[in-house]
Amino acid sequence: MVAFLILVTLHYTVRPLLGWRASIDFLVIAVLLLSVRMRPGAAAALGFITGLVSDSLTPATLGAGALAMSVVGFAASWLRAVIFADNVVLHAFFFFIGKWAFDLIYLVLARGASPLELLAQAGVWSPLSAALTAAAGVFVMLAYRMTLDPQHA
Amino acid sequence: MARAVRASSRADTVVLVACVLASGLLMILPAGARNQVGSVLRETVVQPVLALQRTAERGRNAILEREGLAQRLDSLTLAGARLRELELENQRLRRMVGLGEALRTGFVVAEVLHTQSLGDEHTVTLTAGRDQGITPRSIVVAPDGVVGMVTTVDASSSLAILWTHPDFRVSAQSIGSNVLGIVRPHVGGEGERYLLELTGVAFRDSLNPGTLIVSSGLGGRYPAGIPVGTVIGEVKTSEGWARTYVVRPAVKPQDVTTVMVVQPERLGNGVANVWPKPADTASRVVRDSSARADSLSRAAAVAKADSLVRARLRSADTPKTSIIPPKPPPL
Repeated sequence: MVAFLILVTLHYTVRPLLGWRASIDFLVIAVLLLSVRMRPGAAAALGFITGLVSDSLTPATLGAGALAMSVVGFAASWLRAVIFADNVVLHAFFFFIGKWAFDLIYLVLARGASPLELLAQAGVWSPLSAALTAAAGVFVMLAYRMTLDPQHA
Repeated sequence: MARAVRASSRADTVVLVACVLASGLLMILPAGARNQVGSVLRETVVQPVLALQRTAERGRNAILEREGLAQRLDSLTLAGARLRELELENQRLRRMVGLGEALRTGFVVAEVLHTQSLGDEHTVTLTAGRDQGITPRSIVVAPDGVVGMVTTVDASSSLAILWTHPDFRVSAQSIGSNVLGIVRPHVGGEGERYLLELTGVAFRDSLNPGTLIVSSGLGGRYPAGIPVGTVIGEVKTSEGWARTYVVRPAVKPQDVTTVMVVQPERLGNGVANVWPKPADTASRVVRDSSARADSLSRAAAVAKADSLVRARLRSADTPKTSIIPPKPPPL
């Protein structure tokens, strides 16, 4: 839970500070990391709340992020067997897919952009952001294991 | 067991469906209601997060603004440096205009191209030539004083030697005391590379540091009154019959960008009043003169006083009641 709060804090401090267009999504990392330790229903609820917090800053798309995060959390919890495999590449892939799926659902539901922009966002910026998120997610996970779960590291 | 698992799984699905429905409901809410929900969240649970984001945004803006400020500071510094250059150029040109007004006629303005190659750093190219009225051996001057002499003239350009050239000579004199000598480039170490020396000064004459040296007009090439430099100090030489002084040149070769080539016919009228004598030199001359005058008057006064005293003593020695007239002084 502490790690979750730290990641939420990072999302609202490091991300705006960096100001990259393809940015690291610490909220997705937080939800994915916690979801694998929860039941799918609880993970969906966690995703919903986290998404709602995120949506509150963009009222025009209120609900889109909550829905996307609920689905991602539920799916992560359901696929927990994959997460527990000690394979860094697999973890990275998991974070990548989680973030990309979140972005795709969000983009489809938000419906704010033109088709061309949507395509660019889904095809270029989202994968880039997902890759960065995957890298950060793996780093966070390894750091988490080394500090809180040394025998597993 | 399997039933419990199924029930649990069903509960999870129900929660997911509930979350999806709630999200969908939020999405289809009217804009006003959505804003209201967002506002309530922002004022309660999201407030700390919002504060964090605001701080981060301020930090980022500060970083970006700092870069912008540094760039602006750089630009201003650059502009300031350019302004200084322009100011100096403006000053140079104003002085050049002033010199032109003083000369009135018989001169050609030319730009100096420092295209010196290795081993020929004492020659410059002037952007005026025969077509503009320049002739060989014309003198080249700047508002500060002597620059050099034209050696080769082409149709639209010419070559001139600077005063640093080994062949450069000008007959000169000091302001005030009129000590005569020949000015030529000083051959010294690297630090004294760009200095002049006043040679051939009679041993009985001496010059104080700071004395202005101008052309004397002797020799017929450089007319009298063009500043050449100021005395720095005496150089000890093996010549026992003459003194040599190191002179700081009036014109720095690297600063020369625009010059005036004085035409030979103009030299006949003289240029004595074209270059004003520096105030400090003039005042020094006046001060020296007045000091000399003071000492002379003091000496005269002392002498007078002495004679009076002598006369008084003499008269005191002479008895006033004597009927014998005093002896006339011996012839």
